[in-house]
Amino acid sequence: MATIEIEKLSKSYWVYQKQEGLRASLRGLFRREYREVRAVREVDLTVEQGEFVAFLGPNGAGKTTTLKLLSGVISPSSGTARVMGHVPWQRENAYRRRFALVMGQKNQLWWDLPAQESFRLHQQIYRVDGQRFQQTLDELTRLLGVTNLLHQPVRELSLGERMKMELIAALLHSPDVLFLDEPTIGLDVVAQHAIQQFLKYYQQKRRITILLTSHYMKDVSALCKRVVIIADGRLHYDGSLSGIVDRFSGHKVVTLHLAEGQAFEQLARFGTLLEIEPPKAKLRVARRQVPSVMAALLSAYTVDDVAVEDPPLEDVIAEVFSRVDDVAVDHDVRQAVFP
Amino acid sequence: MAQRRPSYLRVFLTFARNSLVRDTMFRTNFLLQCISSAGWTLMNVGFYLIVFQHTPLIGPESGWGKYEFFVFLATTWLINSLVQTFFMTNADDYSELIRTGNLDFVLLKPIDTQFLVSFQKMDWSSLSTFTAGVILLVVALWQLTTRPVHPLSISPWMVGLYLFYLCCGVAIFYSLMISLASTSIWLGRNQTLYDFWFYITNFARYPMEIYNRGWGVPLWGFFTFVVPVLVVVNVPARLLAQPLHPQRSLSWQLACFALLATIVSLLASRWVFQRALLSYRSASS
Repeated sequence: MATIEIEKLSKSYWVYQKQEGLRASLRGLFRREYREVRAVREVDLTVEQGEFVAFLGPNGAGKTTTLKLLSGVISPSSGTARVMGHVPWQRENAYRRRFALVMGQKNQLWWDLPAQESFRLHQQIYRVDGQRFQQTLDELTRLLGVTNLLHQPVRELSLGERMKMELIAALLHSPDVLFLDEPTIGLDVVAQHAIQQFLKYYQQKRRITILLTSHYMKDVSALCKRVVIIADGRLHYDGSLSGIVDRFSGHKVVTLHLAEGQAFEQLARFGTLLEIEPPKAKLRVARRQVPSVMAALLSAYTVDDVAVEDPPLEDVIAEVFSRVDDVAVDHDVRQAVFP
Repeated sequence: MAQRRPSYLRVFLTFARNSLVRDTMFRTNFLLQCISSAGWTLMNVGFYLIVFQHTPLIGPESGWGKYEFFVFLATTWLINSLVQTFFMTNADDYSELIRTGNLDFVLLKPIDTQFLVSFQKMDWSSLSTFTAGVILLVVALWQLTTRPVHPLSISPWMVGLYLFYLCCGVAIFYSLMISLASTSIWLGRNQTLYDFWFYITNFARYPMEIYNRGWGVPLWGFFTFVVPVLVVVNVPARLLAQPLHPQRSLSWQLACFALLATIVSLLASRWVFQRALLSYRSASS
């Protein structure tokens, strides 16, 4: 049985449309306009035990809402989901003991107290055996390099240190499933790298199932073999990271190093000229035309070096997101007026 | 792998410990809160000492003389301070957790959500009012039991019943507060908690006899049977200062009603809390 099984999962809610100005505010006391937001639309997904899956999507795509549905924080409008055999929104303690959710923009540790005090509280709530708790804590603090910060109030930690403590708090009860919502948001490169390395090591060692949302492609490429693209509440892609380029990008980038004295002006007839930095030039060429364009280029120019590459993943994904955004504008929006 | 269900007592004690650690980290703030509470109690006693210079009783034949009333006042302080120590901060925080979406983390924990919301933090400084209440109660009872005319006799049974109804009073106030705080889920924001606390404690802080004339009667009915705050202090205070008598059947009926009101309040607040949670939709990340 798969660890996570989602079928036709949807979540909609109504949001108040606040009009500008005092008059509209006063009118809003008696009559309000609401817009229906369809945050998640009929998502189907299956995740096997031990998989590390990335959720990619623009802001407001429905990634976090999906994680919240799977954590049981909110209930769906329709559809079903089972995580390790449990229906998340039934909020059974047997389920809540087996997973954890980490949110990069929210803090669950006691702000004024050292993280150690919050960890003790977690030990009591999850009823982790004393010896096991100490072992796990020692291992996690060592791996994340925060052993000497355990007795420092959380409010005096840096953002990166705080996120490491949040991760420790989430893992103290050794969950089987971990939901990570942008765990590296706002962190510097060093802290990002440290958390990536930790997650990679921990997931491989424990074989736990992880769902990660992140806007940093470095997180995704370093950690996940499988990627799910969700945008406008819908699932648009489910496959490997490299498959995104094959599926969504219809072109390749040809980089040429021309021999001295070659004219660059005519290059535009072989494809879209991306940049010229003599003796180098970059061309965008339709994937299907690459062999014929290459043959024509090599016969027309004296080339010192040539490279044919896929476009950067970030560019492809940005293109996919913008395509989805364009379609989503004014797309079946429902409005209603309530007192 | 984590073990079975948590020990609620241990979790509660950890909350208490963590709150004390936090309060003592800001020691000047903690001391100032204690001093301000103690100052308020002294002013309160001073005010009623002045009142009793003008009259021996609150209302003719009400039975509420100076020291009987001080038992009532001490009971008010005891109940209020217990509510403020254990629940006030949490009920107020609950509205904020809902508004900011931080309730998400509470819902993830494998423990009763209402327990977690209700006991997360403790305001230890409010216990200074509790201490003042105990001192005032002991002094007032000493005066009542050693007076030359009609000295009061107090049995262990009365003390036990008093403590029981003290807990009932705390439970009724708690139920009202958690129900009100829960409405934040539907309203998005509810900042009326402290106002509400001020209003109800104002009604509950005087003997019931005050409401037995004119406009007082509908108020008595409303605050006894609809929002039963009048029984919160009146029942335990009466048990000590004006002992229940087999012939005074109304007093016994009141005591039975207080018990019923406590049970109904707790059940109703549990229902409201859980119904509200079903509508929780979190906040943007």
